[in-house]
Amino acid sequence: MMWSTAAPAVTAAFLASVVEVVEAFTIVLAVAMLRGWRPAALGTVAGLGTLAGIVLVLGPLLDRVPVASLQLAIGVLLLLFGMGWLRKASLRAAGVIPLHDEDAIFAAETAGMNEQSHRRQKNLDWVAGVTALKAVLLEGLEVVFIVIAVGAGRGLLVPAGLGALAACMLVLAIGAVVHRPLSRVPENLLKFGVSIMLCSFGVFWTGEGLGIAWPGQDLALLLFIALFLGAGLLASGFARRLSVEFA
Amino acid sequence: MMAIFKELAAELIGMFFGDTRLAAALLALVAATGLLIDFAGLDHLMAGAMLLFGSLALLVVSVCRAARPREP
Repeated sequence: MMWSTAAPAVTAAFLASVVEVVEAFTIVLAVAMLRGWRPAALGTVAGLGTLAGIVLVLGPLLDRVPVASLQLAIGVLLLLFGMGWLRKASLRAAGVIPLHDEDAIFAAETAGMNEQSHRRQKNLDWVAGVTALKAVLLEGLEVVFIVIAVGAGRGLLVPAGLGALAACMLVLAIGAVVHRPLSRVPENLLKFGVSIMLCSFGVFWTGEGLGIAWPGQDLALLLFIALFLGAGLLASGFARRLSVEFA
Repeated sequence: MMAIFKELAAELIGMFFGDTRLAAALLALVAATGLLIDFAGLDHLMAGAMLLFGSLALLVVSVCRAARPREP
């Protein structure tokens, strides 16, 4: 296992998971505050079970795909996903679109469930459980994709999975202590960093899937990371200037 | 339950095609690079540079386009 591939893969899985778990935690916490920990925990366990099922089904299937095709497919998906994140993170850093606000999401989620509780008195625990399940499932899908994408094809599924698991444990441990939305996590900075790594992996594997032998092999990833960082900062700077100019 | 599946599908599509123009341009870039390698015998180093710098350029253009206010 090359450290130059393993380190960015595990870091990307860890940081991306921090971002997604913080988002899921905000909604699960809102559910727990309003309807108690039982529906919140049941919804979370159901969501995690579904995600585990997806990984168990997809994992063995991926082993049967030829490596070059797998690298090309995963590389293109990583590029699409990573560039989408990097574009949004650059625009948020430039102040063109607002930052993700966990406190606002917590308030909106709580208000939404309060409204539902006034409208329908029955099955409120069910509604709360489904809300928690959806949050875990939707945010977890991105974690599963990132872990599979950075881990598959290079035998890094276990290290990447452990990186994601460590992030879950960290966020849950902090969440259990502070007992409120984790709004101080520098989410956009994390997303900016993770998306740079995802874009770099995307270009690297798309190229390998197309048959390109990158000079320096895995070390080329470090150059890609530096270039995507530069491009992200440049794009963000241009966007800030443009938004001020047209304001 | 159906609503959850619909949201899941929308989330999956949004994960990769959140910005349709950027996604289409990236797919076109990858396809063009592959075609040039296979049919025009493009040198691998040139193809790699095309893929890498093409992606970087698309990112900057896409961010700048989004930062510009839309025409009324």
